[in-house]
Amino acid sequence: MKNIRSIWDDTVKKYAKLPALRWLSKKNICEKSYGEIDEKVKDVRAMLEKGGYRGSHIALIGTSSEQWLEGYLGIVTGVNIAVPLDANLPDDELIELLQRADCEALFLSEARASLKEKALESCPKIRDIWMLTKEEFEAFPKHDIEVSGAGDYEIATIIYTSGTTGKSKGVMLSQENLAENVNNVVYDANPGCVVLSVLPIHHAYCLVMDYLKTLSLGSVVCINDSFMHMVRNMSVFKPEVMLMVPLMIETIYKKVASAEQDAIARAMEATGVPESAIPNNVLYAIRRGIYEKVFGGKLRIIFTGGAHLDSFYIEKFAEYGIDVLEGYGMSECSPVITSNTPDNHKPGSIGKPLKNVEIAFENGEILVRGSSVMKGYYKMPDETAETITDGWLHTGDKGYIDEDGYLFINGRVKNLIIMSNGENVSPEEIENKLALHPLIAEVVITGENNGLTARIFPEPEQVDKRKLSEEDIREEIQSFIDEFNKSQPTYRHITALVIRKTPFIRNTTGKIKRQDALKENPAA
Amino acid sequence: MSKEMKFKTIIAQYCEVLPEKMKGDLRFREDLGFSSLDFMSFLGELEDEFDVELEPEQATSISTVGEALELLNELDMAS
Repeated sequence: MKNIRSIWDDTVKKYAKLPALRWLSKKNICEKSYGEIDEKVKDVRAMLEKGGYRGSHIALIGTSSEQWLEGYLGIVTGVNIAVPLDANLPDDELIELLQRADCEALFLSEARASLKEKALESCPKIRDIWMLTKEEFEAFPKHDIEVSGAGDYEIATIIYTSGTTGKSKGVMLSQENLAENVNNVVYDANPGCVVLSVLPIHHAYCLVMDYLKTLSLGSVVCINDSFMHMVRNMSVFKPEVMLMVPLMIETIYKKVASAEQDAIARAMEATGVPESAIPNNVLYAIRRGIYEKVFGGKLRIIFTGGAHLDSFYIEKFAEYGIDVLEGYGMSECSPVITSNTPDNHKPGSIGKPLKNVEIAFENGEILVRGSSVMKGYYKMPDETAETITDGWLHTGDKGYIDEDGYLFINGRVKNLIIMSNGENVSPEEIENKLALHPLIAEVVITGENNGLTARIFPEPEQVDKRKLSEEDIREEIQSFIDEFNKSQPTYRHITALVIRKTPFIRNTTGKIKRQDALKENPAA
Repeated sequence: MSKEMKFKTIIAQYCEVLPEKMKGDLRFREDLGFSSLDFMSFLGELEDEFDVELEPEQATSISTVGEALELLNELDMAS
């Protein structure tokens, strides 16, 4: 089975009556079975066919929901191409992506309804916009035709990812790319296993692992409505498996450590013994209580990836009987490349390559080849040629494989900043926008303390002409940054500002040396 | 435990500052080292502990402990 349609049809055949999706509506748990979802998927497929959509690019802008999933599956199990976009991006960036991706139709969440008019006005190719609401989906005509699926080599999904040239790139993933990732990730779950999905659905890791992979096993995907309610929802849905980025693990650990400390202090007071003398059965009872309260009482596996995780957390979660299994991937590889598994894992490593993946190294850089590697970047032949040479994809990460076959990462070649919430930030993308301000002569964005720092050398001509003091400069630039932040999703907020006294150090070709961005220029 | 102390105890789970030493002008991110997720998780706990409902948009303007307490008091009054 090398396409999404055959995987989905096979799943529905086997598990039609099992629950596939759970979500909260005003604190009530709602549920839909595989069979019920498939009915709507067929409706969407037939509606697209009748609307003349074949090989068309259809965007989805919204957070995880039953409608998002039904819309997505309706697109990719037919003969069309889904373009999931980040629902938190500002209007102008979404419009630009709709245009660049040549989208012909759009599924749009209610929360972004204001985009509807703008999209119709600015994107002449868009013929239809459907809202991702229950009412809209219920009004779709009942399917009365069967629509065939796409070939294995057809593009199924275009995922936009941060680009190093200041422009995000559309990663083209074929039916086979996605299906092969689903088939080769080793993941132990029985039909009915509960998975809580907390990552954004437009990300390849969430879309492929939380949804396509999990659903292929007949498991139940529960939708987390907000990061604000993640811990509460763990108690509500009682998941066995979750996918998280390291930042989430760090946040949950803070709560766990604080609850453990409180409980141990209470036990010391009650028993009158020091911490080291607290009996094991009391410690066990404390941990059991926290396991129930914080983790919901059934969690056994957390898959994590997207950024580095300190192995300290792996050890700490193991005390609660939870395996934290680190993996490694990127959208360009559909996305998983390597993963630790319940049977084969090594803390600090990012696991062994999937069976359909080969790994090689060039000057320390990790190269990947295999059936999950993308077909290229949409309408960006130069960037594609730079990234894939002779069938090998250049990851931009440096690493090595140890004697047991586990991959380790030890650096980056490209400039992308990887935040610990897994988001990749292209510094150039932000620098290009900030450089538009007349008072900013040079700017470099760096990732520090899990936030973004803008390091700025002010335009001397402006400073002299307007007789600006250091305070004036900082105030003016800070208010420009505040405005910029308002238009950006949280992970792209600039959280610190450094005003430089000298221009940045440049190399012989005149480019700013990023590795020296924190140093003042001795030659200036 | 007073409401304010209960509120500060929730914050203290995510940082190294003791509730009794937590001043209103401390900033979540810069002074207390909150990550964006710590902050979201903290807001979720405020909802559960004080039985209020927060809109994430309301929260984006908050940067200090004092501002968060003020918002909580406003929501409490409204409910």
